[in-house]
Amino acid sequence: MSATHVNSHPAREKAVVFNATAPRLSIRNYSLAYATSNGPVKALNNINLEIAPGETHGLVGESGSGKSSMAWSIMRYLPSNAIEKHGAIRLAGQELLEMSPRQMIDIRGQRISMVFQDPSTSLNPTMRIGEQISEVLMAHRGLTKAEARAEAEAALARTGITRPKEMLDRYPHEASGGEKQRVVIATAFACEPELIIFDEPTTALDILTARQILDLFNRLREETHVSALYISHDLGLVSRIADKVSVLHHGDLVEHGPVNEVFNNPQDSYTKRLISAVPHPDRWLGVAKPETSAPLLSLDKVSVRYSPLTFKEKVLKAKPDEDQIFWGAKDVSLSVRPGELLGIVGESGSGKSTIAKALTGLNDFTGAVKFGDISVKGRKEISRDYRRKVQIVFQHPDASLNPRQTIGTILSRPLHLYDVVPAAEIKNRVRELLELVRLPAEYADRLPHQLSGGEKQRVAIARAFAAEPELVICDEVTAALDVSVQASVTELLVNLQKDTGTACIFITHDLNLIRQIAHRIAVMQHGRLVDLFDREDAQAEDRNPYTRALLDAVPVQVSLGVYETEQNDE
Amino acid sequence: MPKSFLAPNALVGVFLLLFTLAIAIAGPWLAPYNPQAFDALNRLQGPSMTHLLGTDQFGRDLLSRILNGAPTTVLFGVFATLLGVSIGAVIGVVAGVAGGWVDNAIMRILDGLLAVPELLFTLLIVTVLGGGMGQAMLAVAVAFAPGMARISRSAVLSVRTRDYVRAAVARGESGIYIVVREVLPNALGPIIVESTIRVSFAIMIGATLGFLGLGAQPPSTEWGLMVAEARQFMFRNPWCVAIPGMFIAMSALGFNLFGDALRDSLDPRRSH
Amino acid sequence: MTIGYLFRRLLSILLVLVIVTFAVFAITAVLPGNAAIMILGEYATPDAVAALEKQLHLDLPWYMQYLSWVSGVIHGDFGMSLRLSLPVSDVVGEAFVNSAVLAGTALVLVTIIAIPLGAIAAVSRGKVMDLLLAVFSYMGSALPEFVTATLLLVVFAAPKTGVFPAGGFTAPWVSIPDFLAHVVLPAVTLGLVLMAHISRQVRSEMSEVLSSDFIRAARLKGLNEKRVIWRHALPNSLAPAVAVISLDIGYLLGGIIVVEEIFAWPGLGRLLIYALENRDLPVIQAVTLLLATVYALSNFLSDVIIAILDPRVRYA
Repeated sequence: MSATHVNSHPAREKAVVFNATAPRLSIRNYSLAYATSNGPVKALNNINLEIAPGETHGLVGESGSGKSSMAWSIMRYLPSNAIEKHGAIRLAGQELLEMSPRQMIDIRGQRISMVFQDPSTSLNPTMRIGEQISEVLMAHRGLTKAEARAEAEAALARTGITRPKEMLDRYPHEASGGEKQRVVIATAFACEPELIIFDEPTTALDILTARQILDLFNRLREETHVSALYISHDLGLVSRIADKVSVLHHGDLVEHGPVNEVFNNPQDSYTKRLISAVPHPDRWLGVAKPETSAPLLSLDKVSVRYSPLTFKEKVLKAKPDEDQIFWGAKDVSLSVRPGELLGIVGESGSGKSTIAKALTGLNDFTGAVKFGDISVKGRKEISRDYRRKVQIVFQHPDASLNPRQTIGTILSRPLHLYDVVPAAEIKNRVRELLELVRLPAEYADRLPHQLSGGEKQRVAIARAFAAEPELVICDEVTAALDVSVQASVTELLVNLQKDTGTACIFITHDLNLIRQIAHRIAVMQHGRLVDLFDREDAQAEDRNPYTRALLDAVPVQVSLGVYETEQNDE
Repeated sequence: MPKSFLAPNALVGVFLLLFTLAIAIAGPWLAPYNPQAFDALNRLQGPSMTHLLGTDQFGRDLLSRILNGAPTTVLFGVFATLLGVSIGAVIGVVAGVAGGWVDNAIMRILDGLLAVPELLFTLLIVTVLGGGMGQAMLAVAVAFAPGMARISRSAVLSVRTRDYVRAAVARGESGIYIVVREVLPNALGPIIVESTIRVSFAIMIGATLGFLGLGAQPPSTEWGLMVAEARQFMFRNPWCVAIPGMFIAMSALGFNLFGDALRDSLDPRRSH
Repeated sequence: MTIGYLFRRLLSILLVLVIVTFAVFAITAVLPGNAAIMILGEYATPDAVAALEKQLHLDLPWYMQYLSWVSGVIHGDFGMSLRLSLPVSDVVGEAFVNSAVLAGTALVLVTIIAIPLGAIAAVSRGKVMDLLLAVFSYMGSALPEFVTATLLLVVFAAPKTGVFPAGGFTAPWVSIPDFLAHVVLPAVTLGLVLMAHISRQVRSEMSEVLSSDFIRAARLKGLNEKRVIWRHALPNSLAPAVAVISLDIGYLLGGIIVVEEIFAWPGLGRLLIYALENRDLPVIQAVTLLLATVYALSNFLSDVIIAILDPRVRYA
């Protein structure tokens, strides 16, 4: 059974013959709303979209824009409260809205298939990978178990999995994230569908893995001439892979056209704002380079050990067995200058957050940390004075604010704890802090859940700056936010740095973003510091190969412009 | 009122709970007859206009006895649970906050105690303490403590790793501030939900003890005891076992449904 | 799951049982009443009491008493029943078999009814079946065993019209029809609360699974609903169902105490009530330890079953 065999499948031939000239997918005046107890909420408004055979169409939007609803509408997989007012969705000329559930079962997986965001949740954890691929082949192409298995192996091989036969017998948890996504892609391509919907297929993956998956996507697209709807929030990414692009905003398709046109000459103000918000390494946003090179903070061989002390080490004081120990971070030495912004980049598990936790006394560590004239050699030695000077902001604004305290209480806590201002002035200072992060003063009486994600992150930043620190550690503070919100939070942070002269460690996986704001960039991998360089030297010939690979994984091909737009987030 | 309390099962729960609490507080004053008054001529009667729920083997008015027994039966469950929850929550919070070997030691002991079925545990303690309501209440409380301790501990643990607690630790807050202001208010939800549901178990265990003669003693009008006393006559007048049984079920159901509604209202996934 | 994991799990069960022996011993040690006087009667001579106390090791300090009891237990010797003048192991052994027959019947009943019931309710969420199950499970979990038992007796075991006997026991190896007639009411009583609880848990586990990403993925692969539910959803809800059942076994073991007492079933529960009423310490200790052991072992067994059902646990 080989790949060429697949093309002679009768159902497919019929479909192609049915209407060869029509676009693969055509959506006409389609509107969708959801019935809620507060009346219908509109999700999609008069959408018109066409995908030609072999075309990759990028669908870009932020959270809540309706881009996922679009996918569910095409798949005819809508919740029971969905209201479809009018419109048409046609696959190769056939109206999908008129299909019976029974007919849709035959279309899904066979003529339209889907690749999901998170491969670790979209595979059944209790079923072997082989069966998860071959069940599709058995359902749609009537193959026997043995034939399906052979075909599944071939499908896996096409996605670049090195030992496909072994992979068939594994369970999902025995495969890496990248391997799992290849399995999902192999399943989607298994029946040679006419259209594949990719729903943020690289968002849950690490930088290098995401790059490999994109390469795979490009190759398979060329091999199969499949049409693709590529849904993403990441404009930079879409600009690299799509032929055409549509921009969704609050359920409206505000702009569409060929990728180069839309990105180089956007017409709609929202598109302009979105494009401006995409981080671009050549567009410097940061503060001026610090003049002094005397360090404010310096780490000397800081290590964080995650595996607990063994019985032998604890009681017998035996020398630890280095191979058996899991280090969150190992022998990290670096320094931060006053007023500087140091970026730390790395993939998940590289130890970048571990360093943040060690520096803020959340993880014990060995080695030495020198901060001004304070010197600490472990978690227990960290004093309140040090803690005041070194503040941290976390990734998830939802989790970092106590849901049962008002914003006012949250912001007044550090003022009170460190005696920043006299008790009588705390209320005033809270108002000033809110103003500082551009939030209205009446937010002091609100609870976190009444704020949007970006607003919550501003509160978290205000809390860190309330202590009047000398160093603020930002641990992926923009990762959980939408692109436009991300840009405004970054800008806020840089402005605060400008005004207060506070130094900053900015931890991120986004290389384009960090090159806009950091003076120096540290690269971590497997708990070790592998590279540390000045921003200007990012493209230098002698860069560390790992750094090189990371930089290459996120190129910016289309030069994205900056457009004068009103900056308002949320 | 949160939306989840408008679901039909929640409404039934709220209604039953209010009804149960009302008769538990005001029952004895609402009783139309003296619950202990014998009436030899009207023994084992079915419901009628004079005796709305009928009479028992001594001709005593069942409605009056039910109303009179409500405080004993229902408040027993409430207080036994409160006591058990307090003991358990303190142990659980200590274990969850302390961590390390303290947590380990407490958990191992709890594992041991949890391996003894709750009712058996209660019976053992009642036997040690001797029969009677106070003793039974203490026994139920002690038997509940290990389970509550485990739930409190896991509630604390799940909150302890949240970023806002980390932020407080990084800020250099005192341990007491972190526990009292950051951890406990957020860990309280699951503990309250579990306690509410536990009240229904406590009511049932209390009634079971009464039934076995190890809890309330005659001439108490505790509902479990009423069933036990009327058992001999259950074939002649099923009402006198069925009615106290139904009241036990109803009060337990009220707490149960209300606890579930409370859980739903606290669960962020279901609140919208 | 490795052999090492199983071994550690067994060790922890052992530790649990050691703690149980402590707890049981501590509780029974403070029970009022002198065992020797109980055996000999109130008019026994002090000399005779002293002699018997020595024989029962009651004159030793508590930790010596504990150690001698534990060493006896390890050798299968639970001492003599104070009331029945028989070795505890004989009395308890027979009662254990009878209880196991009852609990086993109830458990089988519960498992074969509750799991499909919960699954059906989850699939027909918000429809009539779901509502019926909700009513059943709420009612079931609010009825204590003694109420259920009494009501069942009124309906099914009235003196002339009754379908089933009001109590008693015939072993299945003596007469199967007779056994079945006797076992129906107690087993249903015992199983009702568990059925209510387990079916509700299975429903919520199953609904959770049904709303998970991989089920959506399976549907969007174009699999038919039958395969989605039976091949994808159900296997993923079984492991949590087993975990719930194993925890509920504790409740079942408590339930048999009341049910056996009401239906005059000669098992551990009835023996325990008798022993508690008569302060028969060795019997109380043996029964408690036995019930705790059964509970701990059933939890262990459920861990093994979960590992078989869930590959993630198996290799963890």
